[in-house]
Amino acid sequence: MPFNDSPPSSALPLSGCRVLERSSTVAAAYAGRLLATLGAQVVMLEPPGGSPLRRAAPLLDEGGESALFAYLAVGKRSMVCDLADAEGRALLDQELEHADILIDDTPVGARDALGLAPDRLSMRFPHLVHVSVLPFGASGPKADWDAAELNLIHAGGEGYLLPNGLSNELFPDRPPLKIYGHFSGYQGGAMAVLCALSAWWAVPQCGGQYVDVSVQDAVLSVGAFALQRLGDGSLEHRATRRFRYGGVFEAQDGFIELLTLEDRQWSSLVALLGSPDWARDAGLLDPLERSRRGSEINEHIRAWMAAHTVEDIVRWAQELGVPAGKYRTPAEVVHGEQERARGLFASASLQNGQQTEMLVAPFQFRCTPLAGGGCVPALGEMTQEVSV
Amino acid sequence: MNSPRAPRAPLAGVRIADFTIHAAGPFCTHLLSQLGAECIKIESRTRPDAFRKPHAVYGRMSAATFDQVSANKLSVRLNLKQPEAIVLAKRIVSASDIAAESFRPGVMKRLGLGFEDLKQVKDDLVFLSLSSCGQTGPDSHFAGYAPLFGAWGGLGWMSGYNDGPPVEMRHVMDHSAGIHAALATMAALHQRQRTGSAQHVDLAAREVASAMIGDALVLASLGLTPERPGNADLGMAPHGVYATAHEDRWLTLAVRSDAEWRRLAQVLGLNADDMRFASTAGRLRHREALDALLITCFADCNADEMAATLQQVGVCAHVSWNMEDIAADPHLRARGAVTQVSAPDIPERLAVGAPARFSRTGDVGIRRLTPTLGQDEEYVFGELLGLNAEQRADLEAREVIL
Repeated sequence: MPFNDSPPSSALPLSGCRVLERSSTVAAAYAGRLLATLGAQVVMLEPPGGSPLRRAAPLLDEGGESALFAYLAVGKRSMVCDLADAEGRALLDQELEHADILIDDTPVGARDALGLAPDRLSMRFPHLVHVSVLPFGASGPKADWDAAELNLIHAGGEGYLLPNGLSNELFPDRPPLKIYGHFSGYQGGAMAVLCALSAWWAVPQCGGQYVDVSVQDAVLSVGAFALQRLGDGSLEHRATRRFRYGGVFEAQDGFIELLTLEDRQWSSLVALLGSPDWARDAGLLDPLERSRRGSEINEHIRAWMAAHTVEDIVRWAQELGVPAGKYRTPAEVVHGEQERARGLFASASLQNGQQTEMLVAPFQFRCTPLAGGGCVPALGEMTQEVSV
Repeated sequence: MNSPRAPRAPLAGVRIADFTIHAAGPFCTHLLSQLGAECIKIESRTRPDAFRKPHAVYGRMSAATFDQVSANKLSVRLNLKQPEAIVLAKRIVSASDIAAESFRPGVMKRLGLGFEDLKQVKDDLVFLSLSSCGQTGPDSHFAGYAPLFGAWGGLGWMSGYNDGPPVEMRHVMDHSAGIHAALATMAALHQRQRTGSAQHVDLAAREVASAMIGDALVLASLGLTPERPGNADLGMAPHGVYATAHEDRWLTLAVRSDAEWRRLAQVLGLNADDMRFASTAGRLRHREALDALLITCFADCNADEMAATLQQVGVCAHVSWNMEDIAADPHLRARGAVTQVSAPDIPERLAVGAPARFSRTGDVGIRRLTPTLGQDEEYVFGELLGLNAEQRADLEAREVIL
């Protein structure tokens, strides 16, 4: 069985960094995944039955391997560590001796009994960066609240604002709509990595410390402009948070995003539409007038889009400098020319032995490229390796 | 709250030369500055940051008084069209650890401020380029905004009602790119510490959108067609957003296990022994009947009370919050995630504060509000670069400092 045990190349950004991860949520697992791709050695400490993420949707096939887990766990190691018994807690301490960073999403109330209390860890391991990643954080009146992705995108304020634009116009009476997958969890995980690496940076000056990350805080953080707007006197709502014109359009054979935010792009848009009579109305040269008549402009754009193919529209728009792009399917992303040219994907082996393409990371290090890929670790493969 | 310095913060002593524009880049350096880095924002009177101008498309008809992502930053003016300003910009970079930019690929190089140029003056520079599509590849010249990142990256397609069009991503997409850029920059800083070598971090915002559908991309790469689930979850039922007694006051609910289902059923007075709903597989199979039942149950409830009651029995529920709810929330205040800010010309208002709580290092969060254009030139041009008042007046007269 293959393992992610080749000595990590010293050329990677976080070569030499040792991370322990206890994760049952996407936020904590994504944090570990980013660190692993950056070159850290990341060991998942899993309960005897394995992380619940191993069974999380979407699955490759009914009852099969989790695509989500595969994406989150590739490049990591797995060790079974049952913190419910003393032997497991001794193993935890043994592993922590050599760890730089611990990522943990154990609920606050369960930590003491499992040997994961921050005070104990900071006494015993003064150089450890202990990062807690919980739905509502580890402190504050709602620290003991639990939440799944759907709850968190709404607790952080973005859920209420979705969908905006065309989806909201078509289905104004439907409930608000979440972003696909685990958008909130990913923000929480990315924030956890940023804070972990910042705290690790400060270790030579002040030693290790406890960092309390909240997924709700992270969602609010990426949605900060809505709070800024509230301070300016306007409460955003999905029905009104839309660009006055532009947005999602249906072309003959797919969907297009078209958006002109700068004044100079108006004339390019008019040219794209073939300079029709309605668009030559002198009043529309005024950006304010265009804002007021946005719905009317959109009706014209919709009619025009419906008569052309995505490929034509995108080509003409690029030639004229109108920001426009296709709403691409996952398959189009996987096979995209841009993605291929940039090496966004690397080969990875799933637990069932199948090879797949896996997104490496949403950033590149041009002087020392990230390798990506690797294996999706079987439960406890590290323990097995030791006992063999 | 008036000192830009943060001697106790985790990134105290780290300096950034900040050339970023728009939303994603400035949010990245904003996060690093909240963590204690000293961030020198370089702009000019002729090309000021977007928040210093009206923005009609968003309905803002005058310059903003407060800008979330400019807090803590130092401001200097440089007219980068002048060769002498480029020399000064390079001197700021050579006194910094990090240089960050978010122009279209190629612009910094044309200005003489590309990675190779800057490495000449700072051989262990961490250089961050944040762009729509990255520094390389056939699409690298494409300009775009958050909705386009979502469209190109596949996140827009995967989001949406199952029977509807794709959904447009907004600022959260920019800012998600900003967080990823900030963490990658920190990783590069650690690498520099270990190796002494320079690094060029190349972040493409559309690839961040793709990273948010990493699971669907695994399926697509195996030839499978990932499903767009809307508000549903392929492994959980019930899972949805439900109307309650008050208009537009929605309850979000996610039930992860049979035990949680039984507790929910008990709170709602439903028959927990209904065999259709006893197992996850059953609930998924009878999802529509289950949803119809819950729609009736929640129709007359108080959303806030129901969420609290369900949380007490360990069921994941939360009200769909608007920004007024967030502004009034004691939990977010207690954490410092929402914080009150003010300045002589800015009346008290709320802002998003510290990205996390740190047990040992202090000073994390907003320390000073939006700088006025050029307000920190005494420190940057004077103290850091050693230019005296006369030299600066001369540079200003010749519109190098503008």
